[in-house]
Amino acid sequence: MCDQTFLVNVFGSCDKCFKQRALRPVFKKSQQLSYCSVCAEIMATDGLHENETLASLKSEAESLKGKLEEERAKLHDVELHQVAERVEALGQFVMKTRRTLKGHGNKVLCMDWCKDKRRIVSSSQDGKVIVWDSFTTNKEHAVTMPCTWVMACAYAPSGCAIACGGLDNKCSVYPLTFDKNENMAAKKKSVAMHTNYLSACSFTNSDMQILTASGDGTCALWDVESGQLLQSFHGHGADVLCLDLAPSETGNTFVSGGCDKKAMVWDMRSGQCIQAFETHESDINSVRYYPSGDAFASGSDDATCRLYDLRADREVAIYSKESIIFGASSVDFSLSGRLLFAGYNDYTINVWDVLKGSRVSILFGHENRVSTLRVSPDGTAFCSGSWDHTLRVWA
Amino acid sequence: MSGKVTTGSDIGQARRAVEQLRMEAGIDRVKVSKAAADLLQFCTEQAKSDPFLVGIPAATNPFKEKKPCAIL
Repeated sequence: MCDQTFLVNVFGSCDKCFKQRALRPVFKKSQQLSYCSVCAEIMATDGLHENETLASLKSEAESLKGKLEEERAKLHDVELHQVAERVEALGQFVMKTRRTLKGHGNKVLCMDWCKDKRRIVSSSQDGKVIVWDSFTTNKEHAVTMPCTWVMACAYAPSGCAIACGGLDNKCSVYPLTFDKNENMAAKKKSVAMHTNYLSACSFTNSDMQILTASGDGTCALWDVESGQLLQSFHGHGADVLCLDLAPSETGNTFVSGGCDKKAMVWDMRSGQCIQAFETHESDINSVRYYPSGDAFASGSDDATCRLYDLRADREVAIYSKESIIFGASSVDFSLSGRLLFAGYNDYTINVWDVLKGSRVSILFGHENRVSTLRVSPDGTAFCSGSWDHTLRVWA
Repeated sequence: MSGKVTTGSDIGQARRAVEQLRMEAGIDRVKVSKAAADLLQFCTEQAKSDPFLVGIPAATNPFKEKKPCAIL
């Protein structure tokens, strides 16, 4: 079980008894209030009908789950690949490694592109975070974190800072400076604090806010400048391994995936879970929104990638083959959403036709697990990072 | 894990789960045929600007090798 003793560290006056206490969010008729723990417990048992025992609530939950499945099944009139039959098949793809970035001393765990479509930040098990120029393969910056297993890293939208974290349970922001005399580590700012490892982080539309996911089972939104917790997202029953923000046109939501096999879509403002999907058979390692924002893909240890449509509220495609038995660690879409690139633990990268459900290409090159994969912001290339200590840029 | 006594927090958790499920069951859904058609439409519209599908010439792709140039 995950460590769910992480409560919102907000102190203030309780909305019910007005005493100055540690507050937690409660929902009353889908409105969010802040109650102290005493009032929250009272509210939980308030208005309890005579027969409303734990058992009756559990059975109501089960019947609601069944009803949810029924509602979803009613709209399942056709499969995506059937609708996609009228679309032209894709031609042959020639994708090769165009650049190999060498320099990490141990497994590469995470990477992210800068919006300038050129720079890449990557983090590794040995605690090093490196910023590369992918055109020249030169290293521009390097930071040594105080912890090993830096599992998450992200580039700020402005290109002026990077965020990273891992076993230190924190997310730290480093402003990037080209001044040779300045020590990057000196300007480090600790932004997020979790009670377990940091598994993923991402800046929102600006350099001012960061969204984090953690092994403590929660996601959280932080203000970078003050380090204040703005919103926390509780609902996963185990470690959260990945998250992705919706493309900006579609509003304030994000999707997260975890060891509880669930992918959950959250409203960033209210902290509520809007939709949840539980069809994977093992940990979800990676989630990525479809470019239109109406769907998202997930990669899991059950060796499949799946596409979930948010408006149909169900899984609409599975990308799998009997010959693929190793988990998918990382997924990303091409610019149009027609191709899904997925990195696997069997050292390969499979390219899937999203609409038809078939595999288009298989890429070899890495000498160990592919742990991270991202398409560049202009879609001209994608970069993969691996446990073989290298990153490769493919085009 | 659950003892004979049901604590307030167990019931609280169960109630939250039931409320969450009620909310999820009540959202508006679209038929898969419509949702799939929209995904298709987005794909075909964006396909022209997808470098992996259209293939941009080696000269403009910063990662691909340019043709060797002669030194005059």
